[in-house]
Amino acid sequence: MFRKVLVANRGEIAVRVMRALREMKIGSVAVYSDVDRNALHVRMADEAIALDGSASSDTYLRGDKIVAAAIACDAEAIHPGYGFLSENADFAALCVASGLVFIGPPASAIEKLGSKTSARELAKKAGTPIPPGTEQALTSADEAKRIAGDIGYPVILKAAAGGGGKGMRRVEREEDIEAAFRDASSEAERSFRNADVYIEKFIVRPRHIEIQVLGDQFGHMIYLGERECSVQRRHQKVIEEAPSPFIARHPELRHKMGEAAVAAALAAGYFNAGTVEFLADETGRFYFLEMNTRLQVEHPVTECITGVDLVKWQLRIAAGEHLTIKQDEVSIRGWAMECRLYAEDPDQGFLPSPGEITSLALPGGPGVRLDSGVYEGWRVPLEYDPLLIKLIAWAETREDAIARLERALEETHIGGIRTNIEFFLDVLADEAFQAGDLHTGFLDEWFLRRKKHVFSDQDLAAARNAAELAAKGRKIERVQPTAKSKWKA
Amino acid sequence: MSIIKVERSVYSHLDGHRQRELRVESDTDGYVVTLRGRQTKIKIEDPRAWNGTGAGKAGSGIAKVATPMPGKVIRVLVALGDRVESGQGLVVVEAMKMQNELKSPIPGTVKQVQAVEGATVNANQVLIVVESDAS
Repeated sequence: MFRKVLVANRGEIAVRVMRALREMKIGSVAVYSDVDRNALHVRMADEAIALDGSASSDTYLRGDKIVAAAIACDAEAIHPGYGFLSENADFAALCVASGLVFIGPPASAIEKLGSKTSARELAKKAGTPIPPGTEQALTSADEAKRIAGDIGYPVILKAAAGGGGKGMRRVEREEDIEAAFRDASSEAERSFRNADVYIEKFIVRPRHIEIQVLGDQFGHMIYLGERECSVQRRHQKVIEEAPSPFIARHPELRHKMGEAAVAAALAAGYFNAGTVEFLADETGRFYFLEMNTRLQVEHPVTECITGVDLVKWQLRIAAGEHLTIKQDEVSIRGWAMECRLYAEDPDQGFLPSPGEITSLALPGGPGVRLDSGVYEGWRVPLEYDPLLIKLIAWAETREDAIARLERALEETHIGGIRTNIEFFLDVLADEAFQAGDLHTGFLDEWFLRRKKHVFSDQDLAAARNAAELAAKGRKIERVQPTAKSKWKA
Repeated sequence: MSIIKVERSVYSHLDGHRQRELRVESDTDGYVVTLRGRQTKIKIEDPRAWNGTGAGKAGSGIAKVATPMPGKVIRVLVALGDRVESGQGLVVVEAMKMQNELKSPIPGTVKQVQAVEGATVNANQVLIVVESDAS
C-alpha cells in the first residue's frame, strides 16, 4: 500500500479522499491555490503545497505543477477527485511517465471513452445497447434525412466533440432536418472547432440511470447497483438516489444494465472505479450514454446501500491489490438519497452566492452522512464551483429516506450566503417526486407547479419577535465596551 | 410568550407549549429569519435608517444598477451619455464561472459608469446609474 498520496483537488471531495487516507494510515498531501490557503482540505492534510495563482487554469488544472509537488514531497500516487484533471488522459499519462501512480483508470481507457463517437463505437462492439444512430460523422443533410427516416423521429443531432448541450438539436419532423443540421454543425464548429455532427434517436422522457463499476488490474470487475440522477437542472444533477425507483419496479433490469456496463468498461481496458451512464425509456429499454472515468460526485449513495467504501478500493486497486468482492457478494440494503448544497440563490435564477459563512449548523442523528468542504467563518471563494456540502440520508425505505433527508435539511443552516436548501425542501415535498415518477425533464415541469411554502401567522409572529430581539441586541452591543478576556494572567 | 437567545443569532420561542427555534441574520434592509430551513424577510422600522439617502429616489426615475453578487467585471456594454432601453444589458459580471448580464430597469440615459473591465466588485456595489428622460 502507498505511504503518501497527493490529492489534486479541493473542497468536499478532497476532504472525502483525505478521510480515507487517514483511516488507512496513509500520509496525505494537499495542494492549494492562493485563495485556498485556509480551505478545509488544507486543514485536513498532513502536508500542503502551494500552487501559486488563484484561477483554476493556473492551479488545480496545472498537471505540471501538481506532478512537481508530488515529486517534491515524495508522494507515490495522485488522487484526482472529480472535475479538474480527473478525466484528462494526458495528465494520467504524465503521472505514470513521472514515476507516480494515477489513482484511476489507465490513460488509454480515458482517451477511448472521452470522445462520444468512439465511446459509442466501443459500447456497440461490446454489445451494450446504444441509441439507434450513427457512429461516424454525417456527411450531408440528405444522409441525416435518410437515417432519421430509418430510425424514426424524434431524433437528436449532436456534436461529436460536444458537451454541455452545445451543438445539439432535437428534430421532430423531416422538413426541419436540413436547418437543424446546418445549425448544429456551425455551432459545433464555433464551440469545439470541429463541425462533425452525428445523429441519434431522441429518447422521450428518459430516466438517467447509471451503474457504478469497480474493477482491479487483473480483469476482475463488478457492478455495485445503480443510481438514478434524473432530477437535473441544465444537465447538472441536483438530487441523486440509489437504488433507482424505476429499477425497484423492474428488478430484472439491474442485472442486465450491470452486465452491459461491465462489458463496455472491460472493452475499453478499464480498471478502478467508474460509472456507465444510461438513458432508460418508459418501457424499460436502456441505452448507453457515456462513461465517466472517475469517482462521481454522487458516489456516497452507492456506498450507503452497498457498504462498500469506493475510495478505499480505488486506493487498493491503484496499489495493485486484487478486488476481493465477488459479484454475488454485492447486496443492496435500504435507500439512500443525496442533495448537493450549493452557494447559490434559487430566487435569483440560481446565481452563485459567494461570501463568508457567518454561521453554520449541521445535522446529525441516525442515517445522516455529511460530506462537507466548508466551516463557519470561511469565505466561499468566487473562483470555483459553488458546491459546499453533500447531504446524504440513508433509511430502510425510499419514503423513510425522503423524510430523513427533509429532517436533516431542516437541521442544516448555512448563514451569510444564499443556498438551495429551501429549493430541496420544496422538491422533496412534491407528489410526483415522492411517487418516484422521474425523468430528466422533471425539474422543468416541476418549476411550473412549484408550491411555495406558506408560513402560518404564528410562525411569522415568532419570526418578528426574534428579529425585534436581534435588533435590540444589536443596539446594546454597539454601546457596550468589548468584554475583557476571562483568561487574565 | 417567552423568547430567549440560546446561541449567537439563534432564538428559542415559546408560545404556550409551542416551541420554535429561529435563526436571525441581518440583511441589507432588515432581517432574514430561518425556521426549520424555511426563510422569511422581516423588516424592523428603525428611525436611524431614515437619513434621506436613497429615500424618495425610487419614483424620480433614477436607477442605480448594482451587482447582486461579488465578482469580476467582464464587459462594460455602455458608455456615459448612452441612451438605453428598458431591459438593455449594461455590464457583464462573472462569478464562479457564471456570467451575469445586468440590465437597465428603465429607459433613459447613462449618467454614471462606475464599472471598469477586469475590476473585482462587491455584492450590491453600484456599477451603472441610469436616469429616465422624464425626471
